[in-house]
Amino acid sequence: MANNILAFAESRGGDLRKVAYEAVTAARALADATGGEVHAVVAGPSGITAKAGALGTYGADAVTVVEHPAFADYNPEALAAFVAERAKGGGYRVVVLIASAQGKDLAPRVAGKLGVPLASDLTTIRLDGDKVVGTHPVNTGKVIATVTLTANPAVVSLRPGAVTAAEKPRTARIETAAPAGDPAASRVKVTQTIAGNTAKLDLGDAPVIVSGGRGLKAAENFKLVEELAAAFGNAAVGATRAVTDDGWRPHSDQIGQTGRQVSPNLYVAVGISGAIQHLAGMRTSKTIVAINKDPEAPIFKVADYGIVGDVLEVVPALTAAVKAAKGH
Amino acid sequence: MKIAVCIKRVPEMDVRFKIAPSGTSVDETGLKWDMSDFDGYAVEAALQLTEKLGNGEVVVVTVGPDAAQETLRKALSMGVTRAVHLKVDAIPFDNFAIARALATELQGGGYDLILFGKMSIDSSNGAVGPITAELLNLPCVAAASKLEIANGKGTARRELEGAAELLEFPLPAVVSIDEGVARPRYPSLKGIMAAKKKPLEVKPAQLGDLRMTVSTMALPPDRPPGRILGEGVAAVPELVRLLQTEAKVL
Amino acid sequence: MTQNVLFLLVLVAALGFFSYNAQRLVRYLTTGHDEHRTDHPWTRLRNVVVIGIGQSKILREPFAGILHASVFWGFVILTLGSIEILARGVFPAFGFDRMLPTPVHGLFLLSQELFAGLVLAAVVVLLYRRLVIKPRRLQGDKVHSGDAVFILSMIAALMVTLFLSATFDRVVEARHAAAFQPISSVLALVFGGVSPGTARSIATASTWSHALLLLAFLNYLPYSKHLHVITSLPNTFFSNTSGPGQVGVMRPMDLEAEGVETFGASDVKDLSWKNLLDGYSCTECGRCTAACPANITGKPLSPRKIVVNVRQRTMEIAPLLKGDRAEAAHAVLAGGEGDDAGGGTVGERVGHRLLDTYITEDELWACTSCRACVQECPVSIDQLDVINELRRNLVLTESRFPEEIQPAFEAMERNGAPWKFQPADRGRWADGLGVTTMAEFAERNERPDVLFWVGCMASFDDRAKKIAVAFARILNAAGIRFAILAQEESCNGDPARRMGNEYLYQMLARQAIETLDRYHVTTIVTTCPHCFHQIGNEYPQLGGHYEVIHHSTYIERLLQQELVPLRTENGKQLVVAYHDSCYLGRYNDVYDAPRETLKRALPVVTVAEPPRNRSRGLCCGAGGGRMWMEERVGKRINVERTEELLGTGADALAVACPFCMTMISDGAKALGSDVPVYDIAEVVAGQLER
Repeated sequence: MANNILAFAESRGGDLRKVAYEAVTAARALADATGGEVHAVVAGPSGITAKAGALGTYGADAVTVVEHPAFADYNPEALAAFVAERAKGGGYRVVVLIASAQGKDLAPRVAGKLGVPLASDLTTIRLDGDKVVGTHPVNTGKVIATVTLTANPAVVSLRPGAVTAAEKPRTARIETAAPAGDPAASRVKVTQTIAGNTAKLDLGDAPVIVSGGRGLKAAENFKLVEELAAAFGNAAVGATRAVTDDGWRPHSDQIGQTGRQVSPNLYVAVGISGAIQHLAGMRTSKTIVAINKDPEAPIFKVADYGIVGDVLEVVPALTAAVKAAKGH
Repeated sequence: MKIAVCIKRVPEMDVRFKIAPSGTSVDETGLKWDMSDFDGYAVEAALQLTEKLGNGEVVVVTVGPDAAQETLRKALSMGVTRAVHLKVDAIPFDNFAIARALATELQGGGYDLILFGKMSIDSSNGAVGPITAELLNLPCVAAASKLEIANGKGTARRELEGAAELLEFPLPAVVSIDEGVARPRYPSLKGIMAAKKKPLEVKPAQLGDLRMTVSTMALPPDRPPGRILGEGVAAVPELVRLLQTEAKVL
Repeated sequence: MTQNVLFLLVLVAALGFFSYNAQRLVRYLTTGHDEHRTDHPWTRLRNVVVIGIGQSKILREPFAGILHASVFWGFVILTLGSIEILARGVFPAFGFDRMLPTPVHGLFLLSQELFAGLVLAAVVVLLYRRLVIKPRRLQGDKVHSGDAVFILSMIAALMVTLFLSATFDRVVEARHAAAFQPISSVLALVFGGVSPGTARSIATASTWSHALLLLAFLNYLPYSKHLHVITSLPNTFFSNTSGPGQVGVMRPMDLEAEGVETFGASDVKDLSWKNLLDGYSCTECGRCTAACPANITGKPLSPRKIVVNVRQRTMEIAPLLKGDRAEAAHAVLAGGEGDDAGGGTVGERVGHRLLDTYITEDELWACTSCRACVQECPVSIDQLDVINELRRNLVLTESRFPEEIQPAFEAMERNGAPWKFQPADRGRWADGLGVTTMAEFAERNERPDVLFWVGCMASFDDRAKKIAVAFARILNAAGIRFAILAQEESCNGDPARRMGNEYLYQMLARQAIETLDRYHVTTIVTTCPHCFHQIGNEYPQLGGHYEVIHHSTYIERLLQQELVPLRTENGKQLVVAYHDSCYLGRYNDVYDAPRETLKRALPVVTVAEPPRNRSRGLCCGAGGGRMWMEERVGKRINVERTEELLGTGADALAVACPFCMTMISDGAKALGSDVPVYDIAEVVAGQLER
């Protein structure tokens, strides 16, 4: 049985992404268990080869790089063909990808091309004899499944952040390779990448939501909510029905039974008492913070962390503290 | 325009799950079942596309036990033309096996478009759609948040971390649908009655070997009970500390 | 002799023409579907006597009520005189004076004179009111004011000719003044100088005018909203709005019926003939619209318009369906609010329907199902029935509804509550209270005295949970053996039914009945008026028969029996304003129990009444599924109502419904008021001995 591990190192706009190091770190740990090598693959426009050496820092023994102008944007078909070709050629035990936005598209394609299932979005991974075993949250995170793969190779994608990139420096052999087929001939083409966090984050996508209620007392105080959201950087702004009814915010911002139903990683409820209408829209958030002057407010029943106090004082302090925490 | 939509029957998630005595699945007692959320978006997207074009056929396909026919009937009640049930005793976790069963059915079906939900909300793999595309050798876009079809060509949008990309692809193609493409319609009683008379074909599913299985299922540790950290500004540092160290969201 | 023949010809022509129109209108009613409306004839006759002849509903507004009642009673009495006049026109020898003993005939004459005077006076005031005072409810888009002025003038002319005829008869015969005919006697003195010849001419002309006016009036009615003169008594007889049967109960619906393609009503053919008769009976008085919380706060709903639209659409399509010329429907009867909707070529008319052409979706979803319109209608029209049937069509046939209620439908279906909460958490409000579940009783082979049906609000809403806790404490203190169903309870389906989703309703209701029957439940108490109404009054349609008692009534009984140990010390004089729940009050006639409960619980309490109270109480805005819809147009109903309640200067507001609790509390918050809102159970529980 093969002992080497293949790691896909994701890049965007000619630079490696943080998840590339996570993939290599995870692959290193597996290779250490099998006594094999970690081979990484990178694809990008010209100049990407110069970045590939960094993967050695995280434990890659060899890096195969393909440079082609058609890899300037994500090129799913050519990339999947390339990774699959490497995987077949090298005889790998495990192929490791990260379930980033790109990885969620790429990983199942690679698995499909290799004729094997994909263990996706794993939070842990280990080898168990000739099997690969990982854990994977199912049923919206309410159940943890332990998944056993007997396919060869085992294709896995890890949840971003599940593995913390750790340095295991060595000098990686850098090889350049030709793409599999003509990457410019891909049927699926990215025509435009809309970069940056320019557009307002949609309530459905935002990992953090800061939401305001009537406890803010006046429309002009809603800027405190916006400032806190801005401090998080990845936050959208929501509101209660009372607030949208009063015209402090547009109706599209309403969170609740009759508005949007959300479950972000973090929900900060500012001056919201927690009427049933509102709770029905945000109760399933992973972590809930409530700031309200009334210690009896129902919102505290669903909150993980609560602060009793005047939102006009607490929120600016929290904004400053979040900025400080993000800064370091 | 002929569109296939692959859908899955899943349990209602807003419950406290229990683990079945076998330890490899959840206890199904008392669970309510429905179409997976994203599959609902896919069915709606397919219906809107054919309605806009004024002609076409939408076929739903599922791999599942007998009870999965309820889910097919729901899709029929929304306005889908016919349904195919690829029968298994229990839905396997192996997404390649499911994709193989679907590809066997869809191969040669003359579909212009094959839609999936971006993932099933129970097993949350998001792999069946793209693997099916590979097996059928069709272009594929996973997790499209917007989808338009015109002149035998599709355009889609995918959300990335802090960015988005627009894609173009020829038909026939496979697309998996993210939230936001189209909010699923609520079936009318008229639709429910009509669905009872629509064709629903049952075939055995061609799964092949299973090479990915669930060895155990467990419940995550209980969420710690909520607590009031204190009063006023003084409690802010403790909140930030907990968000960083305990909740790990900062 | 020639005159008599001439009169006979006129009479036959007039009655013939009237009969033609009458049969035409009756035939149009058959556009609607058949419905049995003659059960419980005695209750129906009682309604005719009390509401129709007794004018009980019209007198709810005393000023206009007295005027209308005068005209109505006057007409009833004067009809006797009219018969004599018409008969005498053909047979000059006919006369009550020959048939009745003199004193009785004298009384007859006196009654004619007095009531004619009364009618004339009332009509003058009514004309003044319509032309000068112009009350708000008689205004508005295309209300038939011209028709009203015309008909009032006609009545005035009828009375004037009646007096002129009597007066100049006296002059001609030079009769002495008679106490039996005081008015014409006085007038005869005034006109005593007129020559007999002139007097005879005037008398004859007046009699003829009166008789012709009478026949003209009769024949004008089928073309006028004043058709109610003829239809209101039958309409009251056939109406179910004041019984027979439980009031406020929605029509049963057979969802399994073979070959049915449409559900609910999208056009008049889907309504019952009685709904169409309602259309004939509406005189556009606007009392319904004036009482409608949606209309009051600026929403696009007018119950009057709904009924007028039914009539307009009937007049537009029924002649075509029944093989009459399209013009048979006269413009006036087809006119009124929203008359610009219909009309056009035959093809266009056929293409129209009641829904969309006349009544928009927005109007239908604005309804809170509070029943104020039905309560007010003097001729027992059921506006809500039409709204409910149209809503059913929107949801069941067309799947058209405000998008924000889809989550409520889905949650009822999947989670058994209109909000997405975990069914397993249903009994959690009772943690630590020592409440026993039905399953626990069954395990011990025991039965509780009553089942406490908690309802979704008190199970999941944090504020409403306190109501459940308070009520459980009262039951415990009174030593009542009660049980809850905990996670075996599920939404009873009422919100789905009120929002038009009969399919979902029947699914939920059958489930609930199955659970209740499995435990052989006979008596249920509940803190929610919607559960109370639904389970008690509407479940029988699906075979669920239980005695359901609202907690206000139940607590009052316990207090009466002195079963609840209350603290007796007197606190400060507390003024509490009580807000009537629609489903408790108008739907179930429970007005006194909550008030009595408050008074008994707090011996020093004063119950303050807002201007609109009891059967006139204004809805909180949550009914009819409005709890799960946005309120984007006009003033918020809960704010309107809360302003009124706070306007009493009360120290606290009291409610007896968890939905009212939410709406009134939100209203107080929106108004920046600190006045607390309590459920009556909380008030009583607060007085329990510790």
